[in-house]
Amino acid sequence: MSQLRSYLALLRGSYMVGMIYRYGFLFTILGNIVYLSVSYFLWHSIYHNVAVIHGLTFDQTFLYVALGSAVFILLKTYADWLISYEIREGMIAVYLTKPVDYQLYALFTSLGSGLMNLTAITIPTILLLTLVFKVHIAVGPGLIVFPLSLFLAFMISFNFDYLVGLMAFYNESIWGLTITKEVLITTLSGALIPLQFFPGAIQKILLALPFQAIYYTPLMMVTQPDQNWPVFLQMLAVQIFWLVITFILTRLVYEQAVKVLRVSGG
Amino acid sequence: MSLIHIQNLNKHFKVLNRREGLGGAFRDLFSGDYRTVKAVDGISYDIDIGEIVGYIGPNGAGKSTTIKMMTGILKPTSGTILVNGQPPYANRIHQAQIMGVVFGQRTQLWWDLPVIESFKILKEIYKVDQDTFDRHMGMFNELVELKALYTQQVRTLSLGQRMLCDITASFLHNPQVVFLDEPTIGLDISIKTKIRSVIKELNQTRKTTIILTTHDLGDVEALCQRIIIIDKGKILFDGDIKKVTALFGAYRTLKIQIDHFSETTLDDLQAKVTQKFGEKNGITIGQTEELWTDITIDQACTPLSDVLSFVMAKFQVFDVRIVEISMESVVQKVYDGALG
Repeated sequence: MSQLRSYLALLRGSYMVGMIYRYGFLFTILGNIVYLSVSYFLWHSIYHNVAVIHGLTFDQTFLYVALGSAVFILLKTYADWLISYEIREGMIAVYLTKPVDYQLYALFTSLGSGLMNLTAITIPTILLLTLVFKVHIAVGPGLIVFPLSLFLAFMISFNFDYLVGLMAFYNESIWGLTITKEVLITTLSGALIPLQFFPGAIQKILLALPFQAIYYTPLMMVTQPDQNWPVFLQMLAVQIFWLVITFILTRLVYEQAVKVLRVSGG
Repeated sequence: MSLIHIQNLNKHFKVLNRREGLGGAFRDLFSGDYRTVKAVDGISYDIDIGEIVGYIGPNGAGKSTTIKMMTGILKPTSGTILVNGQPPYANRIHQAQIMGVVFGQRTQLWWDLPVIESFKILKEIYKVDQDTFDRHMGMFNELVELKALYTQQVRTLSLGQRMLCDITASFLHNPQVVFLDEPTIGLDISIKTKIRSVIKELNQTRKTTIILTTHDLGDVEALCQRIIIIDKGKILFDGDIKKVTALFGAYRTLKIQIDHFSETTLDDLQAKVTQKFGEKNGITIGQTEELWTDITIDQACTPLSDVLSFVMAKFQVFDVRIVEISMESVVQKVYDGALG
């Protein structure tokens, strides 16, 4: 338990860093309002003459896309940037001399900025959607499991970012790798467009991959709330499955990566 | 009792042989041409509790690599290294609790946050209880007047202030050993003096073992009883600092610019100095750069201040510099067998 306190202190610090740059904070909120308005009118014109596309109504699609963008920013952990920066600058030496696990240090730092994004983006977006754009969000089991699913999604997303970050132990610059990962996750996870918009066969493949557990799963809980408990619990189980798999992967890769660590400078 | 035990320690790195130019950089992408660099090459020593050891050597000598092995960041290629009876690499998180580390070129403080927040985070990380924390902070306030800095963002601190904060932070959890890797780099002399007195105070009141790497012989002279000189991964000298300072510490070079300098000025100066201070005065006069006259003085024979005031009285001097003997020339002299 006292161990947890150390990490919570890191989380708190990282959250405070987000607060200190308050102009950045304000512009993030502002930029999000602009983005919401633009996508509202875009999808409005797409749905101009049709009520349902690929089984989704305008409300469902707009909710998916708008909430998707908010969740997208929330689930960006930047752990890969953090690690590669720390390795290039030699800062990793500082953290490796502290009595903390490096992965947990990175996780709680990311959780701190994630919490910042939650207060700055996700919650304002939900408020805007319901109060200004009058999008109907159904209250039901879906909404109850949504936060939990979001948390699991964050952890899976972190594991991916951390894995890519660890590659910086081998090769100091991981810029290309990070970009590749971003593109893969954005398209294959349903962050860009709902997975239902993909052809049937590809949809099946995508649903068997871990990426959908990051965006598609939590978003489905809100956009398709008229399902029963077992379906939601199964969704959570799949997320937990991928969380465990990716976690084991990060541990294995770290054990190897730390052996080749070279700390530059000084 | 020895706190740190190092026996035949090695660290080798595989480094890609990089080629010149753009074409070379392109070919390097597919190159498998590696060479082995022996950053640390078979060193052994023991360090006792409460010692302050100066660990010196030129750039790339292997100092930082050794520090990184002692702190458990790097795994040795071979050899034994024990800190408090345990290999630092094997149980890094546990071992980190008894160590404090300052890397002069980096900070352990949170760059964007006020100073006090970093201390609070470190308090939780090292599980320091509130009483101890308050006591430490009180002591640091007396020592370095930290309180005025508490609410400032770390990135707005001057280098010297940041270093003082970094050093005090590394003592927060009352570690058994503190590694200071170039703590005075880039600082002016007044803040250097302050930092030295803080380090000395902490070492004496808490019996903390301190390992100091530095480029500044002044740091070593002010703080250490023992120095270890390392170059190219090997130990050149390990012993009492008095042996080294006896040889080099007393030397200073007085550089002066004399008005109306002519060919006879040097001879004239030499004659006047000999007349004033006698034949065996430990003074040599020469020139290494244009316009500057070098007067190298062994202060064991003649005080520098006497020479300076004498020269100022006899000649029209319009610029003066005093130069200490450099780390590089100490290492060179040790190489040449000066310590036999």
